[in-house]
Amino acid sequence: MEPPPPTPHFSLPVDADHKATEFRLFSLSSPHMLAFHLSWLSLFSNFFSTFSIPPLLSLIRSDLQLSSTDIGRAGIAAFTGSIFARLAMGPACDLFGPRIASSTLSLLTAPVVLSVSLIQSPLSFILVRFLIGFSLANFVANQFWMSSMFSSNVVGLANGFAAGWANVGSGATQLLMPLIVSLLTDCFQIPSSTAWRAAFVVPAVFQSVTAILVLIYGQDLPDGNYSCKKSSRKTCGSGNNFFTVLFRGLRNYRGWVLGLTYGYCFGVELTADNILAEYFYDRFGVDVDVAGAIAASFGLANVVSRPAGGVVSDEMGRRFGMRGRLWSLWVVQTVAGLLCVLLGRVDSLWGSVVVMCCFSVFVQAASGLTFGVVPFVSQRSLGVISGMTGSGGTVGAVVTQLLLFSGSNQFSTQTGISLMGLMMIVSTLSLALIYFPKWGGMFCGPSLEPNSEDEEDYFLLE
Amino acid sequence: MKMSFDRRLKNPSLGTQRSDKYSKIRLIFLGSLESKLSQLPLLLLIAFEVHGQSSMDVCGFLVVSLLLSCLVETCYGVAFSSLQSTLVVAASPTPGQALKAGQDQITVAWSFNQTHTSGTDSTYKTMKVKLCYAPISQVDRSWRKTNDDLSKDKTCQFNIISGPYNSTSGNNSFTWTIGKDIPTATYFVRAYAYNADGVEAAYGQTTNPQKTTDLFEVTGITGRHVSIDVASICFSAFSIVVLFGFFYIEKRKAE
Repeated sequence: MEPPPPTPHFSLPVDADHKATEFRLFSLSSPHMLAFHLSWLSLFSNFFSTFSIPPLLSLIRSDLQLSSTDIGRAGIAAFTGSIFARLAMGPACDLFGPRIASSTLSLLTAPVVLSVSLIQSPLSFILVRFLIGFSLANFVANQFWMSSMFSSNVVGLANGFAAGWANVGSGATQLLMPLIVSLLTDCFQIPSSTAWRAAFVVPAVFQSVTAILVLIYGQDLPDGNYSCKKSSRKTCGSGNNFFTVLFRGLRNYRGWVLGLTYGYCFGVELTADNILAEYFYDRFGVDVDVAGAIAASFGLANVVSRPAGGVVSDEMGRRFGMRGRLWSLWVVQTVAGLLCVLLGRVDSLWGSVVVMCCFSVFVQAASGLTFGVVPFVSQRSLGVISGMTGSGGTVGAVVTQLLLFSGSNQFSTQTGISLMGLMMIVSTLSLALIYFPKWGGMFCGPSLEPNSEDEEDYFLLE
Repeated sequence: MKMSFDRRLKNPSLGTQRSDKYSKIRLIFLGSLESKLSQLPLLLLIAFEVHGQSSMDVCGFLVVSLLLSCLVETCYGVAFSSLQSTLVVAASPTPGQALKAGQDQITVAWSFNQTHTSGTDSTYKTMKVKLCYAPISQVDRSWRKTNDDLSKDKTCQFNIISGPYNSTSGNNSFTWTIGKDIPTATYFVRAYAYNADGVEAAYGQTTNPQKTTDLFEVTGITGRHVSIDVASICFSAFSIVVLFGFFYIEKRKAE
């Protein structure tokens, strides 16, 4: 008689799929928590690189003779690049695994970050920002990886912490890049027009190092890596090709709805990252440094607010099921929309800062709550759904910036901000359309026999 | 206003004869009345007259009122349209000439325009000559925008020379090596004369009021350096090599 195959031993409690059912933030236990830490660090470096240019714009714009139009176009280009990259990253994760997909992208975009030191014209500036924006597609790999490693009762938490801590990269870079440049100009006596070019070595090296760590220490699934070899087709998405996987995901209407709502929470967050520093500088006359610090604090709030969204999602899911997750998402995003409308109407500096802080907490929590719902939409096309939602985020950013903040319109920035809040409230209403036969929706109960142990039904539904 | 404080504190005989703490306060009081700015410093000092004990308090309140007055002053700057063009300024570059930052030199010369009533310049105490952006370099660049309120105006961002105003000798000139941080753009030169309170009183510029004539160009220094180019290419090659090396190793392991 053959001995039964040895059950693998995990240091965290796991479910039937070997996904962890507990989330221990400060442990490095392989493979679950190690994957978490590698993943958020790698995405942090991607956000750090993508947003490393805006804080140095005051130096770059005089050296490259940039105009406001060029800067606006480059900002939009940075997000446009990531739209298609995120959509493509979805199937890539389903087929190759998040580890290889994310580290490949990081290692391929690191040379682009280095090439910032070579640019000399506005056109090359726009092109470089477009290409660096591709690295934001790693967000999809990050969320996919967390959804593969963590069970449904902690998946919102894991997704929230991973994305939240990674988003801090966009705030940290606003503080660190100017510091690096002043270090180079003061301590090494390098002229500032050379110093800003040299400073981009830091984000590029950081990105490469984290990608290499992911390759060496990371693992796609609790049981091992994806291996698309003939022997183990089971772990490789049932031998489907790129387009089958892609279209299966695209056919799912819930992915589109979540893409729309995510476009109006994360997209609004990205837009705010771009416009807030200039808004405070122009409207209230604060210093450039102070305006930059205020804008940085908007991004830094991600440390707690996005994980908080994940925590709320899991808690509501535990008590009220999918209905709880959907309702809490709707409430938080609508409140964020109301605060955004208020932000455009407040006339005093301190009032604006307070409203902005509250707004940042709610809008980032809404992003965390969205990715508490995404893992449940599709099992076999999880990557594609994550990609659609993630792309929706950047599409929202591009559309909002073009419509409201591109400088060619008649209304002021504060009216634009209020309109952005209104658009958030209206788009969130589409959440009412989401309905899961197994778990129900916002207004209707489930229509299938609820059986929490029967994962097969879930698998077969999509 | 800051300058008036300093001068009066150093020269108490300008005010009253008494040199005790209260005389200092009264001097400041007079100073703030003269400058005709906001009521805030005035209120502060009236409040202080009621108190006024140790010299530490005096120092503290002096600093606070100075700071507040300066802040207030920057909030309400002089309007450029209210200034008279009483100075004649000339710069050495010929119209349309291209100069190199960090290498070439500009010689500026300024004097009082004698067609104006003599004695108008008796209020001018200091002056600054600045390098200013021409309108063509301000298009679509809000960080260089011209604003009539001089405290918010960003047209003239680079100082060529500043110092005391000297009206007796007609030939004031200075040769300036263009700074290394001057960006590529089209420029003209403008001189501001300041009165005793440090407020702009008059100006003069090398170009016409529409800023269309006698403009010159400066080509900025590019920050590109061979060592950075080499480092970038090396690091890029390293990351690509690592990626493909890794794929190769994985393939070897699987076989």
